[in-house]
Amino acid sequence: MDLRAELAALVLVVAACGGSDSGASTPPASDAGNRVFAGGVAPPTEHLENPFDSDTDAVLEGERLFGGMNCAECHGGGGVGFVGPSLVDGRWRYGGGDGELFRSIYAGRPRGMPAYGGILPDAAIWRIVTYLRSQPVPENVPTESWR
Amino acid sequence: MNPEHRLRSAASIGFVLSVILVVGAEAQQAAREDGQWTMPAKDYAATRYSALREITAANAAQLRPVWTFSTGVLGGHEGQPLVVNNTMYVVTPYPNVLYAFDLTEEGYPLHWKYRPDVNPSAVGMACCDAVNRGAAYADGKVVYNLLDGHTVAVDAITGRELWKTKIAELSIGETVTMAPLIIGDRVIVGPSGGEFGIQGWVKALDLETGRILWTGYNAGPDSQVLANPDTFKPFYDEGTELGLTSWAGDTWKLAGVPVWGWISYDPDLDLLYYGTGNPAPYNPEQRLGDNKWATSVMARRPADGALVWAYQFTPHENWDYDSNAEMILVDLTIEGTRRRVLVHFDKNGFAYTIDRATGEVLVAEPFVDVNWARGIDLATGRPQLDSTKLTGASRGNVENICPSLEGGTSPASPASYSPRTGLFYVSTNNFCMSWEATQAAYIVGTPYIGASIPYTPGDGGHLGAFIAWDAVRGRKVWEIREKYPVWSGSVATGGDVVFYGTLDGWFRAADARSGELLYSFKIGSGVVGAPITYTGPDGKQYVAVYAGIGGDWFLVAGDVRSDDPADVRPPADFMPDLARHTSQGGIVWIFALN
Ligand code: HEC
Repeated sequence: MDLRAELAALVLVVAACGGSDSGASTPPASDAGNRVFAGGVAPPTEHLENPFDSDTDAVLEGERLFGGMNCAECHGGGGVGFVGPSLVDGRWRYGGGDGELFRSIYAGRPRGMPAYGGILPDAAIWRIVTYLRSQPVPENVPTESWR
Repeated sequence: MNPEHRLRSAASIGFVLSVILVVGAEAQQAAREDGQWTMPAKDYAATRYSALREITAANAAQLRPVWTFSTGVLGGHEGQPLVVNNTMYVVTPYPNVLYAFDLTEEGYPLHWKYRPDVNPSAVGMACCDAVNRGAAYADGKVVYNLLDGHTVAVDAITGRELWKTKIAELSIGETVTMAPLIIGDRVIVGPSGGEFGIQGWVKALDLETGRILWTGYNAGPDSQVLANPDTFKPFYDEGTELGLTSWAGDTWKLAGVPVWGWISYDPDLDLLYYGTGNPAPYNPEQRLGDNKWATSVMARRPADGALVWAYQFTPHENWDYDSNAEMILVDLTIEGTRRRVLVHFDKNGFAYTIDRATGEVLVAEPFVDVNWARGIDLATGRPQLDSTKLTGASRGNVENICPSLEGGTSPASPASYSPRTGLFYVSTNNFCMSWEATQAAYIVGTPYIGASIPYTPGDGGHLGAFIAWDAVRGRKVWEIREKYPVWSGSVATGGDVVFYGTLDGWFRAADARSGELLYSFKIGSGVVGAPITYTGPDGKQYVAVYAGIGGDWFLVAGDVRSDDPADVRPPADFMPDLARHTSQGGIVWIFALN
C-alpha cells in the first residue's frame, strides 16, 4: 500500500467536494466569546461568510469530512470531546460563530489544534463548520447531582 | 542451543517451580540503601524497592501527612519525585516545570524552579494527556523530557539549564512523556506517538553535552533497528530484516511502536531493556504481518544501541496492548536453577518471567481476566489466540474483549518488587472493551487510529485491584479489590509495607505479606503517580506521592476539564460516579509516622 497515494487520493476527494461556491446567507454569529470590551466598544471584526447555510448536503459532507480528516480521532465520535474539547456542547474556547469556527480549523489553535488550511480548501472547511453548527446543543445542566 | 535453553521444555510441562531468595542479597541492598531516590524506578533493575524499614506493618496506622504542595498544574501527575542530597525534584505535566525543594528547611521552600519554554501544540498531540513520568539524576544534573520533544539537563544545585536537545519531531506526532534512564554517561530516551503513525525509536544522549550518540528504531530495516546479524540473537526468531519483512509493504514507515514507559539496565550483562508500544494504526488489516518489534521487549547495548535480543509479546497486535510497562530485573530460582530474569506485566493481561540474557520465556500466566488468548505457548513464545476476538475493519464490532486497551495493568502504573517477600506488587484493571475498527487515513500531524472502543466492567463488581504476584509460579498471592481501575505505581519497602494510590484519590499502605490494608488517606485527586520513599535530613523515613488524576482518565472521566460540562463521557461511561470522588488536581504529598 502506498500511503502517500492514499493521502493524495483523500485530499482529491476533499478538494472535489469543496469546489462549489453557493451564495447562501450567513447564520447569525453566536457571541460565544463573551469578551469584555474596553470602553464598552466592540472592535470591528473581519467578516467571514459561510456559503452553505444549513443546507443538508453540506451538513452530510461536513460530517464525512469530520471523520475523514481525523477530527473525530481527537474530538471524539460526533465531536463529544476527547483529546480536543467537545464541539457539540455549546461551550467554546474560541467562539462558535461561523468565522470563529472557520479560523479554528483553518489556522489551528495554540494548545494542539492542527491547522487544516494547508490541506483543506475553504469550501471543505465551510462544510465542516456547517456540520458542527447543525449539531443540537444539549440543554445546559448546571448541577450534576448524585442524590 | 546453550544449556539454559534446554530448561524451557521442562518449564513448559509444568514442573513445580520454586523460589529461593539469595541469602545475603537483602542485607547487601540494605547496606547500599542511602535513603535517596535518584532514578525513576529507584534502581537500574526498576524494582521500586527501598530497604528503609522505619515504617512497618505494626506502625503504618500512625502515618500522617506532613507536607503538601500545589504544583500549579491540573492534569495527570504520573511518575515520581526524586530525592537527592536533601533536595526533592518534582516535574509537572505540561508545561513541565521542575521544582527543587529544600528538605532541610521547615516547610521545604524552593531552592529554585525551572520553567522551560514548551510548545503548547504538544498538548493536543499527546494522545493521552500532557503527562510526564519524571526525571533522572546523575553527576549533578537533573535530566528530563519536555512534552514537545526535547530533553533537558538542569544543574541540580543552581537550576540552570545545562543543555537542551531536540530529540523528537512534534510535527509528525512525536511527543515525549517517558522518564529517561541515565546509564553511565548515557541518557536513554524515547517518544510517545503510537497514535500518530511515528516510526518509534530510542536514542542515547551524552550526559555531558546532550549530543545524540545513537538512534535505534523499533521497526524498519536492520540498519535502522541496529540489528547486526552477528550480535542480534532473538530466542524465537531467525533471519534478518525482521523489522521490515514482518510488515506488509512499507507500512513499517508508519509503524507506531513508541517508547513511553520505563527503561531498566543490567550492569553485569551490560544490556538495557525497554518495552515497545502498539503498532499503528489500530485497524490491524492495514499492517498485515507480525509487525516486529511492536509490543516487544528490546535488549540493547548502551554503548552503541546494538540490539542483542528481542521478544514480541503480542505478534500482529490487534487490541492496543502496548508493552511499555517496566521490565523488572531480578534473580529467581526456577526449578532449582538460579535464573537472571526480567518480569513484565503486559497490557495484554499476561505476566512474563523471561531469561534476561537470552529472551527465553520461562513463565507466562494471566494476572487478570484474559480472553483474547488461551495462554502463551512457551515452545514458540506465541499466544494461543481466540480467533473470535481478532479485530479489523472487515470484522465489524467485536464485543467483550478482555482486558481492555487500558491494559491488565497500565504501563503508567509501574509495579514494585520486594526481595524480602519475593513478590511483585501490581496495579490492575478489571474491565473489557468492544472494538470496532475502521479504515484509518494517514494525515501527517493527526491521529492514525481507526477504531471506536467502548469499555464495559469486568466480573466481580470491582474495576481494579492491587495484587501481589509470584513470578516463579505465575500466580496471584493476594489482592485488594478497588472500586475503580488502579492506576498508581507502587513502592515496596524493607518494613514490609507497600504503598499505592487509587483513582478515587486514596493513598494507601498495605502489608506486603498479607495484603491487609494498614492506612488510607484521601489526598484530593485521583492518584496516577508512583509513590517513593526516602530518608529526610532528620533521619526519618518519608513517603511522597502525587495526587492529580489524568493520563487516559483525563480523556474520559472525573471533571477532568473544567471547561467541559460532562464529567464522565464515553468510553468511561461504565463508571459514571467516578466524578463523585475526584476532580482534577496537582498536589505533592509527603507522609511520615506521627
Ligand atoms: C491532534 C488532535 C486534533 C485534531 C486532529 C483536530 N483537533 Fe480540533 N482541537 C484540538 C485541540 C487540542 C483543541 C483545543 C485547542 C486550544 O484550546 O488551543 C482543538 C480545538 C478545536 C476547535 C475550537 C474549539 C473551541 O472550543 O473553540 C474547533 C472548532 C476544532 N478543534 C475543530 C476541529 C476540526 C473540524 C477538526 C478536523 C478538521 C479538528 N478539530 C481536528 C485537537 C485536534
